[in-house]
Amino acid sequence: MSAITQQGPETKTAPTPLWQRIGRMVLAVLLRIALPVISILVLWYGAIFWSGLPPFVLPRPERVLQALFTDWKLISLHLWYTLEVATIGFIMANLVGIGLAVLFVSFPLGRLLVMPAAITLRNIPYVALVSVLALAMGDGMATKVIVVTLAGFFPVLVNTYRGLQSVESIVLDRMRILDASWWEVFSTVRFPYSIPYIVAAQEITGSASIVVSIAVEWMISRTGLGYVINQSMMQYRGDLVYAVALIAALLSFGIYTLIHYFGERLDWKDGSGTRR
Amino acid sequence: MSVPISIRGVSCSFGSTQALGTVDLEVEPGEFVALVGPSGCGKTTLLRIVADLEVPSTGSVRVGGEPPSQVRRKKMLGLVSQRPAVLPWKRAIDDVVFTQRIARKAGLPAETLLRDFGLSGHERKRPAQLSGGMLQRVNLASAIAHDPALLLMDEPFSALDEMKREELGEWFGRELAVRPRTVLFVTHHIDEAVLLADKVVVFTPAPGRIREIVDIPVPRPRKSRFRSDPLFVRITAHLRELLFEREEAAA
Repeated sequence: MSAITQQGPETKTAPTPLWQRIGRMVLAVLLRIALPVISILVLWYGAIFWSGLPPFVLPRPERVLQALFTDWKLISLHLWYTLEVATIGFIMANLVGIGLAVLFVSFPLGRLLVMPAAITLRNIPYVALVSVLALAMGDGMATKVIVVTLAGFFPVLVNTYRGLQSVESIVLDRMRILDASWWEVFSTVRFPYSIPYIVAAQEITGSASIVVSIAVEWMISRTGLGYVINQSMMQYRGDLVYAVALIAALLSFGIYTLIHYFGERLDWKDGSGTRR
Repeated sequence: MSVPISIRGVSCSFGSTQALGTVDLEVEPGEFVALVGPSGCGKTTLLRIVADLEVPSTGSVRVGGEPPSQVRRKKMLGLVSQRPAVLPWKRAIDDVVFTQRIARKAGLPAETLLRDFGLSGHERKRPAQLSGGMLQRVNLASAIAHDPALLLMDEPFSALDEMKREELGEWFGRELAVRPRTVLFVTHHIDEAVLLADKVVVFTPAPGRIREIVDIPVPRPRKSRFRSDPLFVRITAHLRELLFEREEAAA
């Protein structure tokens, strides 16, 4: 029995008009923004309704937005101080982390000598660290930067070290056969190999530097978003606390996204092996 | 340019493990010498000693009358490993140029080299965009980009399938006829050794010593059809006998 195939008339689907495609794209973007916002608002109002907490502890979202606008001058002034501490701390954390990683790879003995101290520093409770530093150096910029540096250098150190060590032994053999110098091996092989690892560390350290700066300011400082939170709590201004928290969260998210975006362009470890 | 190799009383131990027994071997300039033997017999260790990547426990190696460290400093060595040692972010052509830049020796223009290696049209591709065979060709091109007098090859085709290995082996034989150089070639494939080499050095099981050196009295390069030649069959049978006899004795 022969197979019977039925072929209908050839139909060509008309291409979707441009305005429809743009409309769909806009809708998709809006949904991606709107859905998380809606879910957060639902949870927020739900928490207010079910917890029965007073407004100075859990204010309504519109009250927080209002505080953001009315107190923007105060927030923006202290935001600048926080950014200053976070940026310097972030740079210092990278200098220390990458510097130590290079030292450990070049002189394995250095790793044995310094690593225990680095792990200890990393594990000292920040409250104790801030207290000691404040007593020793006051509550100025240096203390805050040191704490942000100490909080951020460890992921950079561990990741960079791992990246520098990730070079395949056959590649190192190739470099040795060519009698490459230490600097040539480092700059042309070890460092490029470590880039994806360093980028991954930046994603942690970048956003953490904002959070840690605010925490230190909350404890000892008279400037910065942490200080604003401290003062707001004393004045039962929960709305301002939430407004600052919102700004800090957006800032951390922005930094993470920025690092991720540029990091992807430096990373040669994507599927095609292309470095865009 | 080719150099002779003189290996005298060389042995190597790592801690209490003897990786290589005492070995004496002379290689003429431009000669292609294949090293075959059971796994772990020390073939790769011997290759690494000649490459100045390992230090022998006893004995000495001279390449062109000089110790390997001196030869390495003169950028006279080329190394081809089992897995390609190419840099994953570099395009094929950049990888070849990279060797020349680090070695500070120009050699042939990278474009010419890649064309001769059958990679025309693939110069701008990165390792992830190349097939296994192509990648190993880039690896070979990069290894000889600075025109080394001695090429050290550690199972360079073993990661490829049978067809690719044969094809690349035959092509490599022709390439050596164009640019002759001394080659030390570690392999597990007896056929490959007989097809490519002037001499096949058979090692005993670990700690490896030279059991026999078998000459292949047919000029290079040899075509694939040499495999059906009675001489080829006789030599490979003899080599198998040497290798398996030892393994049976060990068992």
